[in-house]
Amino acid sequence: MSTGKPQIQQLARQLFKLSIVDGRLSDEQVAGVLAYVEKNHAANAVAILKVYRRLIAAEVAKGSAIVEHAGPVSDTLLASIGGALSQRYHRPVTTTAKANPALLAGLRVRIGDDLFESSVAGQLATLSASV
Amino acid sequence: MSTVIEQIEQQIAKLSTKTVRKNTGVIRTVADGVAKIDGLSDVAYNEMIQFPNGVIGIALNLGTDEVGAVVLGDVSQLKEGDEVHTTGKLLSVPVGKPLLGRAVDALGNPVDGKGPIDSKETYPVEKIAPGIMARKSVSQPLFTGIMAIDSMIPIGRGQRELIIGDRGTGKTTIAVDTIINQAKINKVGAASGDPKFRPVYSIYVAIGQKNSNIVRTIAALEAAGALEYTVIVSAPAADNAANQYLAPFSGAAIGEWFMENGMDALIVFDDLSKHAVAYRQISLILKRPSGREAYPGDVFYLHSRLLERSARLDGKGSLTALPIIETLAGDVSAYIPTNVISITDGQIFLETDLFNQGIRPAVSVGLSVSRVGSAAQIKATKQVGGKLKGELAQFRELAAFAQFGSDLDAKTKAQLDRGGRIVELFKQPAFNPISIELQAVTIFALQKGYYDGFDIKKVTAAAVSIREFFATRKDALLTEIRTKAALDKDIEAKIVAALDEWKATYAG
Repeated sequence: MSTGKPQIQQLARQLFKLSIVDGRLSDEQVAGVLAYVEKNHAANAVAILKVYRRLIAAEVAKGSAIVEHAGPVSDTLLASIGGALSQRYHRPVTTTAKANPALLAGLRVRIGDDLFESSVAGQLATLSASV
Repeated sequence: MSTVIEQIEQQIAKLSTKTVRKNTGVIRTVADGVAKIDGLSDVAYNEMIQFPNGVIGIALNLGTDEVGAVVLGDVSQLKEGDEVHTTGKLLSVPVGKPLLGRAVDALGNPVDGKGPIDSKETYPVEKIAPGIMARKSVSQPLFTGIMAIDSMIPIGRGQRELIIGDRGTGKTTIAVDTIINQAKINKVGAASGDPKFRPVYSIYVAIGQKNSNIVRTIAALEAAGALEYTVIVSAPAADNAANQYLAPFSGAAIGEWFMENGMDALIVFDDLSKHAVAYRQISLILKRPSGREAYPGDVFYLHSRLLERSARLDGKGSLTALPIIETLAGDVSAYIPTNVISITDGQIFLETDLFNQGIRPAVSVGLSVSRVGSAAQIKATKQVGGKLKGELAQFRELAAFAQFGSDLDAKTKAQLDRGGRIVELFKQPAFNPISIELQAVTIFALQKGYYDGFDIKKVTAAAVSIREFFATRKDALLTEIRTKAALDKDIEAKIVAALDEWKATYAG
């Protein structure tokens, strides 16, 4: 096998595709991929697994929302955010609350590459950038 | 103070309370002005990306799981792991008349220390060139003020005329002369009060040049009173490759605003060789496949899409482009020169040999051409200079032939003599453009044999004297030539009378 970077990425993407079943990440398939790589002593296994890990992490992040908050957040609100995001992204989304006093007030929700900003800190940053 | 508070209050009022969505990514690597970013799954090609500390970038490579972006700012402030986000906007620069007389960088920020620019409008840096239907054929002249060019290689408004030559052959001087001449014409036009007069605004884009050279150019324009009609876009050699790559497009956006708003503009790209080198650097760092001379495959498209934005629009204005290309040892068949030659509507080729012989501007008449031709010439110039190019070409051929033999017939000697006089007549000092009416008179005097009595070496001095005589004593006649733009029998008789008057007083 070639040691070139494109080949490593291509192989990692193939393994990633194998880990997806019906558009969802399958824990069993991931375990199978890891067992296959371990068993076959693939060349550049570390490099391939690093790329594979990044792809899996990005996929996991698409189904997991981190809700940063300055004040208290109820379970009902978290569930409502999770429901709204599930509807938007057409996939089940789990929510995790994370306290962040730097926000001053409001919420910041991060899911995958998307960031939903509704905090005082975010608005102040926009204000300072535009003045 | 209260104004500042009002501005902040207005800004607060504008801030919406609803949630803002941003598409984010994380910097994986930063090197040589290019950042590789993970994430940014919704980014568009050429979209502006917001980096930390107010730094801006442009997405140029959209990969499967990575985005390559050029950074337009201080790269040293960025580090691996920094979060970036999309802006949903294409890169735009401030445009409009407030930019006249100012020097800006590739992003339109002032760099001349004259304070902020009060520009209300912005214009996208990258834009599709006007299509076929929007265009009109080039027929209005754009006078460079250089006799050799205006009489033999005329340039029209909306044309793209390449200035090509080795280093130190006077390429920038021709461009600066043209800008100075536009300012002179603008001032005369404004003073005349003619409602049909259309001023030409100039944009000078300096790419990869030494800062000292840019300062010298600005000083020359200021000394000639041309800076007030000119915008300088500066991306000097000290700027990163991304800014040098963007500068011509920013200049084109500034020029297009004039064109779209019914005005005429002239843009000088000084020079596109360095622009191609900057683009090659970016492309190689982005790991795009390289082709001939390591330039990327789309280097032709880079320049064609830039120069296609120069046009004359039906019912609107025009944008004339003077791109400059530097050749090595006069090799016009190199990659970038041939590309740009094929894109433009003609070229002014400057020769080192002519320059060293003291023939300045060192325009090679044989290799220079304007594809617009006499369509962009006024009738007066056609009348006096219609045959000059042919005569000069014949002279060059005969001069080469005459080197091998001393016995020449009278006709050949006469042709060589006349050619020598034409060459002398076209010598012109830098930053001293000549108005079209004075050019017409100078060449008219040649056609009528007024220089025949002088030694060839004294023809230039005689021509200068004629121009001074007409400028100081025959102003009404010059105005008449300018207004009518043609030489009728009446005007010709007046010119002959004035030339006789000059000859009686000129000692030679």
